[in-house]
Amino acid sequence: MKALKGESISKRQISGFDKAIWRKRFFNFLKNLFRYLFIIGMSYVLLYPILFLISNAFRDKVDLLDPSVVWIPKHFSVESFKLANQILGYAESVKNTLVILIPSVIIQTFVCMMVGYGFARFRFKEREILFGILIFTIIVPMQTIIVPLYVKFRHFDFFYIGKLMGVFTGKLLSINLLDTPWTFYLLSAFGMGIRSSLYIFIFRQFFRNMPTELEEAAKIDGCGPFSTFIRVMVPNATGAIITVLLFTIVWHWNDYYLSAMFFTDKLPLSVMLTILNERIDILSNNNPASANDIYLLRSSTLEAGCLMVIIPLIVIYIIGQRYFTESIERTGIVG
Amino acid sequence: MALPTALKTGRQKRRMTLRQKEALYGRLFILPWLIGLVYFFIIPFITALYYTLTKIKLGDNGLEFTFVGFENYLYAFTKDPNYIRTLTSSIVDMLYQVPIVVFFSMFVAYVLRDEFRGRTFARAVFFFPVIIASGVVITILKENIMGDVNSAASGSTTLFKVENLRMILVNSGVSAWLVNLFTTTISHIFDLTWRSGVQILLLMAALHNIPKSFYEAAIIEGATEWEKFWKITFPMISPTLLVAVIYSIIDYFTDYGNYVMRMVVTQLNNGRFEYSTTIAIVYFAIILVIVLIVNRIIGRRVVYLS
Repeated sequence: MKALKGESISKRQISGFDKAIWRKRFFNFLKNLFRYLFIIGMSYVLLYPILFLISNAFRDKVDLLDPSVVWIPKHFSVESFKLANQILGYAESVKNTLVILIPSVIIQTFVCMMVGYGFARFRFKEREILFGILIFTIIVPMQTIIVPLYVKFRHFDFFYIGKLMGVFTGKLLSINLLDTPWTFYLLSAFGMGIRSSLYIFIFRQFFRNMPTELEEAAKIDGCGPFSTFIRVMVPNATGAIITVLLFTIVWHWNDYYLSAMFFTDKLPLSVMLTILNERIDILSNNNPASANDIYLLRSSTLEAGCLMVIIPLIVIYIIGQRYFTESIERTGIVG
Repeated sequence: MALPTALKTGRQKRRMTLRQKEALYGRLFILPWLIGLVYFFIIPFITALYYTLTKIKLGDNGLEFTFVGFENYLYAFTKDPNYIRTLTSSIVDMLYQVPIVVFFSMFVAYVLRDEFRGRTFARAVFFFPVIIASGVVITILKENIMGDVNSAASGSTTLFKVENLRMILVNSGVSAWLVNLFTTTISHIFDLTWRSGVQILLLMAALHNIPKSFYEAAIIEGATEWEKFWKITFPMISPTLLVAVIYSIIDYFTDYGNYVMRMVVTQLNNGRFEYSTTIAIVYFAIILVIVLIVNRIIGRRVVYLS
């Protein structure tokens, strides 16, 4: 605004210039007003469930039965959190989740980036039909193929190598990968992890929109396709990488269908949350003395459990999104 | 393996043409995916397809498969009273839901693009749906809270008093058809915002990838905001817009609230794995056709920088 004022003084002779500035200011004001109204309204809609969770999770037993308490509890208590922590085995479950999550996320992002680049930048005959199949794999949810997939991991034969060896040695070589995080690592490494196809699609669109001059320059400097990819394309894809990383983290953290299928002990957090209800029942059956209290806290414990699952993701997003905008502005070359 | 030998002979006997080389490297880049596709997707998928041609029974020694041919498919199309009806209604609903979701998310992404006070907060808020809607939390929320919201949509609690709005509109003499359209959209606004989290994030990343120099040049040339949007922003984000449209279509069809998906899950829970897979496969084939048509139509208009 200051710069504009200075400018207007120096160019006062141009007629109507002041007027234009005022019009611009008015327009900006309207724009901001509208933007804040919209954001406040949407925030209410989107935050309603979270506020509801927070409000209920912090209530004391007395408040749970008190109809005069609407939003802000009269007696704060973290009892539900304590109970949820105890039942979820929070630290242990988080550790189990992270053991699956961290390697899978890194492998998955890298592999999807590579495949997306292959689809975006190289021409070969069967590309279009393979791309059609890729879209089909986005559509088909895991539920359709889960039973055959389960059997595959129960008797994992290293891509038929085990079976082939069985022909020669007479003994089938297969190992049981269930209950190990290798189920997730393998799926991620071969582009079939949770929503991998979607990430490949995102990267493909991203790389197709990058200027070719970069690669041409790299080629002239003597880079092969793989070193071009690692040295030129990957550093310039930070924006897309962080978007995909956010998605992979969230979807791995939240996944409970596959984890519930592949794991019977060392359960990750999301699966623990699905059985929280039953665990509360078991707890109250085992402690008849405090059964009443536990029954009262039942729904608020569930809500506290939900919050404990969501909060790490929110923190990751707030950290990540700062980096997300900065990195794009820093790399500059793509824009 | 055909690829390494091709490489060798290419080097020894005759040099490969540039195009052949390009194709070879392209195939190498997608190789991990291709292996995974065959081993973890196509083979299990074919196994599942085989199940649809059988009748599965729990016998004395595990599951017993009896081959019945196309009986499951015939049942879905000729005997099942609900399948065709839910299928068509879900396709028709998609036709108006997807454009609304895409426009909404583009609008939000555009609003959240510029620097303003509280942007970090606003972005975090719009990311909530992604965090919540993909996990088990949503089912718990649906039981505890969304129940409230859904009934709120019909006017019984305080979040959205659509009924009041409807009365006001009817009393002020707006035609009934318009009122209906208006109120159903408003009562779906919750659904709408919860469906568009991923698309907003995608479009926001795309908006940030547009070089600033484009806008600077446009300002010097005297372009208005409107022109800047349609001549720079829109073409530049069109590749991502295609992803957003296709994602919205797929998300709409495979959402657990979708009636056909619900049918699939109920049949699975009733222990009819083969019939559940049958209706699922027919359903996915139809979605694939729709997605490919959309990809063709929009894909032609998409602008790629290179």
